[in-house]
Amino acid sequence: MSLQGKSALIIGAGGLGCPAALALVEAGVGRVALADDDQVELTNLHRQILYDDADVGRDKLDAAVEALERRARPGQRIEAIRSRLLPDNALAMVRGFDVVLEGADNFATKFLAADACHLAGRPLVHGAAVRFRATVWAVAPEGRPCYRCLFEDLPRGEAQLTCAEAGVLGPVVGLAGALMADLALDVLSGSPRFGTLYAYEGLADRLREVPVAARPGCALCGPAASISALEELCYTAVDDCDDALITRGVQP
Amino acid sequence: MITVRIPTPLRTLTGGNEQVDVEGATVRDVIESLEKKCPGMKDRLLDDKGVRRFVNLYVGDEDVRFLDGLETKLTSGTEISIVPAIAGG
Repeated sequence: MSLQGKSALIIGAGGLGCPAALALVEAGVGRVALADDDQVELTNLHRQILYDDADVGRDKLDAAVEALERRARPGQRIEAIRSRLLPDNALAMVRGFDVVLEGADNFATKFLAADACHLAGRPLVHGAAVRFRATVWAVAPEGRPCYRCLFEDLPRGEAQLTCAEAGVLGPVVGLAGALMADLALDVLSGSPRFGTLYAYEGLADRLREVPVAARPGCALCGPAASISALEELCYTAVDDCDDALITRGVQP
Repeated sequence: MITVRIPTPLRTLTGGNEQVDVEGATVRDVIESLEKKCPGMKDRLLDDKGVRRFVNLYVGDEDVRFLDGLETKLTSGTEISIVPAIAGG
């Protein structure tokens, strides 16, 4: 099936977004967009494979678009969306694409992406990686299951586990980003693998497949869903544990 | 004997050990045994409603949410993994 007429949005041009974007462009997806507003830092380079030393200090999207356009074939479009995903732009942003991939470094963005894609009817591939561990899974537009079936809501005072010393290994995000692209290509080619969470454990080199169950009381995709709009308040960080929402040392 | 694999953020409670062997017939028993060996662990894993939302407990390859939760029965030699939700990349 031709991917030339297909489009993908990647939220976060970091350790997951870089390899995912590269794979989607090389696979021939006709339109690939990246959304981010960060600059390249020296500490990004070991895992954010679209950037090199000369890019330090530049906008990530300038460097990423250049790197991807060098690989693109005639007719392929690489687009830069110079913004984070926010409650007031999320629906409009995701609506324009056939599949969305989020490799965000914070839970607020992950929940926002989940909600926006569900409300806009777009399939979403989630990716996350910290240290030796990564999780990747694809969610159908209708959910059942969705990210909120698994984690319900933003951590509010209970996120100590993610406050810990962090960091992330290049090979682990490389694998996870490639797997995100693979799941996105399955969606675009009409053979999606929704609802299976792939958990990679880098120390044991083990990939675990976990079937995620739809939660009957899910506020996003359950029978009595209560989320029907994106309200700023729902994605506000926790006051007393703000660091939990942006895992220390890990930038997008 | 049940082997519990401990993620990095919780190894401060295990003296740095990445796995702890305990006894227990159910997941709940194991967490109680774990608490005795590593005080503070229970509070990191459970709240008053059960397993904390941002923690996944796996028995072998299965998330206990999709088994019998804390009452999931265990046989000797089983491995339990504690997997916190992650954001990063």
